Amino acid sequence: MEADINIMEIRKKYDLRKVYFDHPVAGISMATIAIYVLFSFIGTRFFSFDCFTSIFTIAAETGLMTIGECILIISGDFDLSVGAIYALGGFIYVSTAAFLPSFLAFIIAIGLCAFVGYINGVLTVRVGIPSFVTTLGMMMIIRGSLLLTTGGRSIAYKGDIFIPTILSDIIGYGIRPSHFWFITLLLLFSFILMRTPYGNWVFATGGDQKIARAMGVNVNKVKIINFILMGVLAGLAGCMAISRFRFANVAFGSLMELEAIAGCVIGGVLLSGGVGNIIGAGLGALLMAMIRIGVVLAGAPGYSYQLFVGMVLITSSYINLKTFKKIIE
Amino acid sequence: MQSSPLLKIVNIKKSFGKVQALKGVSTVIQHKEIVALIGDNGAGKSTLVNILSGVFHPSEGEIYLEGKKVNFSLPLESRKAGIETVYQNYSLITSMNIVRNFYLGRELAKNKTMFSILDINRMNEECKRAIMGVDINVRSVNELVSVLSGGERQAVSIGRAMHFRAKLLLLDEPLAALSVREVNKVQELIKEASKRVAILYISHNIYHVYSIADRFVILDRGIKIGEFEKKDVTVEELMRIISTGKVAKI
Repeated sequence: MEADINIMEIRKKYDLRKVYFDHPVAGISMATIAIYVLFSFIGTRFFSFDCFTSIFTIAAETGLMTIGECILIISGDFDLSVGAIYALGGFIYVSTAAFLPSFLAFIIAIGLCAFVGYINGVLTVRVGIPSFVTTLGMMMIIRGSLLLTTGGRSIAYKGDIFIPTILSDIIGYGIRPSHFWFITLLLLFSFILMRTPYGNWVFATGGDQKIARAMGVNVNKVKIINFILMGVLAGLAGCMAISRFRFANVAFGSLMELEAIAGCVIGGVLLSGGVGNIIGAGLGALLMAMIRIGVVLAGAPGYSYQLFVGMVLITSSYINLKTFKKIIE
Repeated sequence: MQSSPLLKIVNIKKSFGKVQALKGVSTVIQHKEIVALIGDNGAGKSTLVNILSGVFHPSEGEIYLEGKKVNFSLPLESRKAGIETVYQNYSLITSMNIVRNFYLGRELAKNKTMFSILDINRMNEECKRAIMGVDINVRSVNELVSVLSGGERQAVSIGRAMHFRAKLLLLDEPLAALSVREVNKVQELIKEASKRVAILYISHNIYHVYSIADRFVILDRGIKIGEFEKKDVTVEELMRIISTGKVAKI
């Protein structure tokens, strides 16, 4: 009798976990809505269209980096240099836009960021340095170089308005093109991850690299492509931000790598690799942007943002581990 | 009586630095026969399987598949040639579902590029059929591999190899982690499979292989010390040969 009851309980627990696992976006969606409702009550003027567009603006920029980081972590790697690449992209863009059409400056900046991603990939894959270390070193090299070159001074944007117009300048009612870029890229990469052979290879590479190789997946190619993608997205986010502020400073993007990773974890990505979803990561970025603005409007000091994000991060990681890990074993 | 063999390996040698894992092994495998590859630890059985599946290159020696000389520089090439390997971990990734594992590396898509759209419906249908064909009952092939028992995972791996028309199936200790009841089911499955593919079966457990193998190839420290048809040898004799390292009787 007792044994039967225990089995029933275990089955029920397992099924609930499975439901959550099958629909991971459900959890983060609920959390996002809950936090939005919370801040609507405790924050002045939080529940307004103005505020929402501000949140979305921040989410769009962090979100792009979170998308790239999500794909990378699912395939089993980390990129700690994304904040630096973000700053590098912005710096190259501003510098070259001073004497070239903004379109060309943009392409050069993105191209260089893609190249940095490629270097990250090659060092990790061919030399065998763990990606954590490779990208940490790359982050320091880039930031150090930028500091040396600029001496910490800001550089004003003196280019034409073409790229800023298609990236970040307000269209009306606080809506920016970056919002649409964010949603489009979110949907695009989610589709690639879930509905293409490449996506399957990404999951396999992160799930078990040896088995993936034995089954014919070109694991090295997958990893390098993901690093290049990360570089491109970080560079794009950097150019978006610079277009918005109309100046660049090497301090831009500090700690953004950690925010990108936090967004992924909140959205359901497992740091051990092989599991995750991009919509969740995007919502994670949105959630963090909500908290950033929400705490200020609620009257708390701006620094408490980190406190709350930290708590959300640990809580969501706990929930995700409890559900996902058990199911996977 | 003997038509040309499916696989012929000639004088295969493999060294890892100073260690010689294989010192010149030659044998053949006929179509649709089950050959047991047995021997103590360190005999070189896994090394030989890794060479056949394209994970390692032989230091010396040749491999002929259906009469043609082959040279695998990648596991992918070995698979394309019709050699499928089922490793001890069932060659399945537990964090992914059954259908994704089934089609890993061979995804069905509208075009052949890596960013083309997966034909999810066809994949689900065909996978479901293949899985039922090896007697596995799941609610959906979108279930994670982790819901399957060891024996079921083994069946999925073998079913996958059959579905993709393998000519030679390399089984590396397929029964190692299974319960007694599952051992019987998987043995039955292997016997069924041998009606369509040749099988090279590595095992420590002589009793297990003896019941279904047609022929035994015995390795000891990198060389082949014996090769017997089942009718010419008993389980006890095989065990004695392996433990003493010598074929000759008193």
